[in-house]
Amino acid sequence: MAGVLSLIVAAEEAAEEVNEASDLYPHWEELLVGALAFAILFYFMWKWVLPRIGALLDERREKIQGELEQAEATRSEADALLADYRTQLAGARDEANRIIEEARQTADQVRIDLQAKAEQESQATVARAQEEIRAERDRVFQELRSQVGEIAVELAGRVVGESLDTSAHERLIDEYIDQVTGGGAQN
Amino acid sequence: MSGAVAAVLGQFHPPTTKDFVWDCWGPSLDVGGLSFCMNFIHFLVVLGFILFIAFFYFGLRKPAVVPGRMQSLAELGIGFVKENVAMPMLGTESARFMPLLATLFFAIFFWNIFEVAPGINFSSNSRVAFPLVMALVAWVTYNAVGIKKHGFFGYLKHVMVPPGAPVPLYVLLVPIEFLTQIIIRPITLTVRLWANFMAGHFLLAVFFLGTIAMLQGGFTAIFAPFSFAIAIALVGFEIFVSGLQAFIFAILTASYIGGAMAEEH
Repeated sequence: MAGVLSLIVAAEEAAEEVNEASDLYPHWEELLVGALAFAILFYFMWKWVLPRIGALLDERREKIQGELEQAEATRSEADALLADYRTQLAGARDEANRIIEEARQTADQVRIDLQAKAEQESQATVARAQEEIRAERDRVFQELRSQVGEIAVELAGRVVGESLDTSAHERLIDEYIDQVTGGGAQN
Repeated sequence: MSGAVAAVLGQFHPPTTKDFVWDCWGPSLDVGGLSFCMNFIHFLVVLGFILFIAFFYFGLRKPAVVPGRMQSLAELGIGFVKENVAMPMLGTESARFMPLLATLFFAIFFWNIFEVAPGINFSSNSRVAFPLVMALVAWVTYNAVGIKKHGFFGYLKHVMVPPGAPVPLYVLLVPIEFLTQIIIRPITLTVRLWANFMAGHFLLAVFFLGTIAMLQGGFTAIFAPFSFAIAIALVGFEIFVSGLQAFIFAILTASYIGGAMAEEH
């Protein structure tokens, strides 16, 4: 400790010996050098540094602003496009509904037509069948009528037991006819 | 005195005011009774000057919208002065005074920082002349701004007659205000910066030279690590002081300008 203390004392003593206030006084040369250096630095800052920084900030601001505006434009364009698509979609949906409705109507029409046609055809078929049946019946009836005469004659011949000879037959018929013509009054 | 103390005394040369006196390195140029020459002090002024120019020149040589490292630093520096010195003190008028405030801040900082530059450890601002020049610039500026704004007598009234005090107090207030605002402000600006760096130089010198002296002083060597640790800490402190003093000088100048421009309350 003693060493350090005496060191401080010694320092003070030494300081008293050599320190002079006039050592610290400003010199005119220094003032002028300082003023010149400061003036040049000021001019440099004023005319070169700050304008460059200012231009830079302006440029940056414009760029950011431009980008924001572009983004805004892109966004509104996208919005318009979206609205457009939505309209188109709605149109397409309407169109689809309309087509479906049309198809349904067409189908209905076709169904009704087919039904009508089928009904008509079936009626025609039925009518034709009835016609044929009636014709057949008439033909059969006609045939039967002619055959019935012959059968009746043959049957009558068998019933009589003996075939009437032609002369007797003719006579019988004549008699029948006479009977029918004149016999009405006798019987 | 013991032998150990004698040994210490033999090696330890305490820093003195002679640290602030430097001889010419070469021939001097005599102009009108003044003798200019290159010496250590002027060399430091030139060095700080070059550092200032280089910092901004290489930062803004090719300004790009997306900045590189140097440009970021330069922009950050200017932005700092703008946002923390000019805007708070001057508001809408700040752009007009940005050249002065930015020059003050960076010139003082780049001249200060040689205090901690290894191998140099000396700031030109520890010579009173250089702070004095800048304080005079600040003084002329804020007074000129005030006179331009209020007229000569209007400015004197603005300075010396703060409104709202009881009338008898003006007997005291007028001289006090005149002294503080016109006479003392440039002196305090000067002394605050100068004394910080003169004292800073002494502090660093004492602890670095003290470390060496103790190492050579026999048993006192055991104290040397403490001295050295303090010296290292002081280097950090001086870096801080370099920025702080530059900031204080600039912000006080801005404040004085703002005060001189203020409307009558």
